[in-house]
Amino acid sequence: MPTIEVTLSDFESLLKEKLDQGKLEDFLEKVKGEVKDFMPETDSTKIELNDTNRPDLWSPEGIARQVRPAEKPWLETYPFFEQKLKPAAQVHISNAVSAVRPYLAACISRNMSVTEPILEQLIQVQEKLADSFGRNRQMVSIGLYRLKKINFPVYYDLVDPERTAFVPLGFETSMTLREIIEKHPKGIAYANTLAGADQFPILKDAGEVEAGDAELFVEVTGTDLRMVTLAINIFAANLADRGADIEAVELHYAQETDFGTVFQTPYDLSEPVTLTLSELNRVLGETVTVDEAVNSLKSYGLDIDTEGEKMTVRAAPYRDDLMHPIDVVEDFAISRGYDSFDPVLPSTFTVGALSEIEQFSDALRHVMTSLGFEEVVSNILGSSEDFIEKMALNPEDKTRPETRIVEIENPMTERFSLLRSWILPSLLRVEGTSSKAFYPHRIFEAGEVARLAPETPDQTETTIQLGALIAHPAANFSELHALLDALFSRLKGAYQLDPATHPSFIPGRFGHIVVDGREVGLIGEIQPAVLDFWQIGMPTAAFELMVEKL
Amino acid sequence: MSEEIELSHLVEALHPLEKQLLKFLADAPVMDDPNIVAHSGLKTTQVSTAVEWLLAKKVIAVSAEEETAMVRLTEIGKKYSSTKNPVLRMAEEILERGEVAIRELQQRNDMEAEEKSRAIGALKSSGAVSVIPGGRFKISDESKLSPFRDLQNVIDLLNEKEGLAPLSDFSNSDQAIIETYHRKRSPSKGIFRVDLEVKRSYEKTALFRPVYEKVASEKVVTTLSELTPEILKDGSWKGKAFRKYNIQLPPPRMGGGALHPYKAFLDQVKTKFISMGFSEMRGPLVESEFWDMDALFMPQFHPAREIHDVYFVKNKPHDNSIPKAMIDRVAAAHENGGESGSRGWRYPFDSDRTRRLILRSQGTSVSARVLGEGPANPGKYFSIARCFRYDQVDATHAPDFFQVEGIVLGEDIHFRTLLGLLTLFAKEVAKADKIKFLPAYFPFTEPSVEMHVRHPQLGWMELGGAGLFRPEVTGPLGVDVPVIAWGLGLDRMAMIALGISDIRDLFSADLGLIREKQCIRRAER
Repeated sequence: MPTIEVTLSDFESLLKEKLDQGKLEDFLEKVKGEVKDFMPETDSTKIELNDTNRPDLWSPEGIARQVRPAEKPWLETYPFFEQKLKPAAQVHISNAVSAVRPYLAACISRNMSVTEPILEQLIQVQEKLADSFGRNRQMVSIGLYRLKKINFPVYYDLVDPERTAFVPLGFETSMTLREIIEKHPKGIAYANTLAGADQFPILKDAGEVEAGDAELFVEVTGTDLRMVTLAINIFAANLADRGADIEAVELHYAQETDFGTVFQTPYDLSEPVTLTLSELNRVLGETVTVDEAVNSLKSYGLDIDTEGEKMTVRAAPYRDDLMHPIDVVEDFAISRGYDSFDPVLPSTFTVGALSEIEQFSDALRHVMTSLGFEEVVSNILGSSEDFIEKMALNPEDKTRPETRIVEIENPMTERFSLLRSWILPSLLRVEGTSSKAFYPHRIFEAGEVARLAPETPDQTETTIQLGALIAHPAANFSELHALLDALFSRLKGAYQLDPATHPSFIPGRFGHIVVDGREVGLIGEIQPAVLDFWQIGMPTAAFELMVEKL
Repeated sequence: MSEEIELSHLVEALHPLEKQLLKFLADAPVMDDPNIVAHSGLKTTQVSTAVEWLLAKKVIAVSAEEETAMVRLTEIGKKYSSTKNPVLRMAEEILERGEVAIRELQQRNDMEAEEKSRAIGALKSSGAVSVIPGGRFKISDESKLSPFRDLQNVIDLLNEKEGLAPLSDFSNSDQAIIETYHRKRSPSKGIFRVDLEVKRSYEKTALFRPVYEKVASEKVVTTLSELTPEILKDGSWKGKAFRKYNIQLPPPRMGGGALHPYKAFLDQVKTKFISMGFSEMRGPLVESEFWDMDALFMPQFHPAREIHDVYFVKNKPHDNSIPKAMIDRVAAAHENGGESGSRGWRYPFDSDRTRRLILRSQGTSVSARVLGEGPANPGKYFSIARCFRYDQVDATHAPDFFQVEGIVLGEDIHFRTLLGLLTLFAKEVAKADKIKFLPAYFPFTEPSVEMHVRHPQLGWMELGGAGLFRPEVTGPLGVDVPVIAWGLGLDRMAMIALGISDIRDLFSADLGLIREKQCIRRAER
């Protein structure tokens, strides 16, 4: 979610009213934004914008545009969206760029002096759109240039990065394009958009904007025509809000696009959405009239044509988020204010219940506490050190369920790179941390574990297991066996112990717990080497049961 | 409590050993450990127990402590006190029979082989015997046997003192003998052991006299120390009193069974939702991108789906259990809206990637599954699902965490019933007295709402997010009634309830900390 930094004074001049923190917060509610840092003493405020589908709101211009009640239709405020005049400036987009970065959109801004604060804002919009909306420039990147340095028509074409050289901004000497993307900070940031390409798309004839310039050329390049166009539309609207006169640029594509081969940008890509009044009322549980709906939506900046109950709604071209009539319903609700809706409870009756397995697991938890065990809750993520090495397990031995471990492809740290496949390591972790807590220790956890299950369509399984552990100077198999026996007597179930071996347990003091011929768990004394790994200084015995199998 | 009552309580709780010790001390000229052991008629262990008890009750006090070297007989020493030491035993046989074959001495069965060879060696080197032809010993100089006789005297002397006496009780020459034969850190060798022991001397406190007088004036009644099945059976308890306990002594500690405080908190949440008519749903920890995100209309290019946001399963296993028709419908919703009335996200949906496995990143995936499986209509569902996010672990981020969330579906579901349910949650779950709804953004709901509530202790806080599922979510999953999706953030409430400030402590591995938090709360009335 993008966070932007604005100055309150800039915001006030865009909104044409005085602001304080409370008023600012009220405004931000309407754009799903919140103040993260309010610092009036430095005239700076950080705002987080939560709607990832409304990049037009990621600037003070955009927020002001939205929260100011619209007085006239957007086309009157932003006439440049109409494809009327034949633009003087032209850009030719070659066939060759289609393999690398096929789309370009552009506009010209005149008669707005770029002051230092305005330049900062322009750069912020440029970066937010390129980073958050354009996925770190991969899908969209934006360039700002001094108009007077450009001779139209401009050609957008591929060049050989080794052979094309110029003096980049902030450097003294001429570098090849290849050198620039390897050494120049802007070039490095741009490099990920070019991965694998052996020729680079560039705009010939350029120069970066400085404070004091009054005439700008803005271009957006990218991999998606709608996104590129939306970005230039937002930029143009922002500049217009600051008093600039926007001129369109005519684009000549060598290849066919969704908008044709010759068209101009900014470009109205909005598509009408049709909503009936009854649909609006059904979704909201209201009885709104057409007039109320139209007034609210218009003041929210939307264009509406009505035909009886049918409303055809168009958003301004700097928005591209009306995907479904339901989106208009929310705009209406926000425009009217969420607090204007009376909450009511659903009238239908439903019966509540726990899942069968959770009920059973809860019952087991209560039996365990009645047997004197204290419950623990552990994280499920852990390390191979905890789940394999400290358990003395052989990770290659896939016959044991606990070695079928789900591993993470992209762990942030080794400490949390695996899912636990049984509960015992979690309990030993508690034991290893709790030598200062008075003994005896009798602890248990009933919780989820995950394991690979390549033989099933799901490929993995999530099960509930009950692990229990005792540790004190005289803890042994016999004491734990008595407790297990007490647990089974509560379950009214017969079970038997089949002697077996397990690397985490002392040979000759370990067995599988078997019910009706099915293995449902294991029990034994933890072997001293494992206790050493966990730095446990007390004899320890443990059992673990697969709850689904009981 | 009056002094008199206090005194009788104290006397009534006296153990018979304490009374015996009291009576001895009343007239004892010297009140120190050795004297008490020697003359009180109590065994050593009984003395130390009774002394400690009387000290604790402040009837006596320690007047002085001095370190004393104490000599005691080892197991070997005790054996020699009854059978005499091996050298002497052999010498006496030789004296009695005039001469004895060495082979015969070696075959004696009243001592260990090592004892025999050492005794024979000692006899030879003492000069008391001479070897005569035929390998036989005879006593040639009986006076040379005196060191062994002296040794035996020391052993016997110590034995008379019950095998324990201060080193200073012995003459210098005896002390030299003890020095020669005392054990030097080897457990099996040696006849004597010398330990430094603290000898304490005691004095009577002001309490002694009154306590003693009360004890002395007591009628002699046999008290029972324990009630046993035998005593119950034969009725011998009748007419007898039981010794009183000091019930104020600290008991041995035990943990006792207890639910984990955080789980108990979540249990309360579960109960709350069941009481509001919600059914529990469950889903797997390892989830496909389909259920976790695609079915929720999050486009595959969504920023929250990258490797720095979601954990992917190693070796990229793919879930083969998702019905193909459902994948196709979801794909259509993403690409062009399908039949949902939406224009879609307009990008080519990757039907292979959708089956890729990740760690569940949001509890809403459980809701998506339930919608796809055909939920009850009307229906209310909740789940408490463990979720995983690619976050730096710190005081506000646990490696994995629980999300409380769910769905409500039915013909009468709309924006106002959504607000109504959230108001109910705010009151029932958070005990909020004020509530505020704000516009919010979630990719899968429209309209979306964020709920802020005023909690009695916490003040204003964000309690959760909710909305009506978009038609692009419900349609492809085969649900044709409106559905509310809601999620609550309860961890902050849990942390306040448990009095912790670091979210990782909800999953603490420190049993000491867990025990601190195992208290029972009763709802305020």
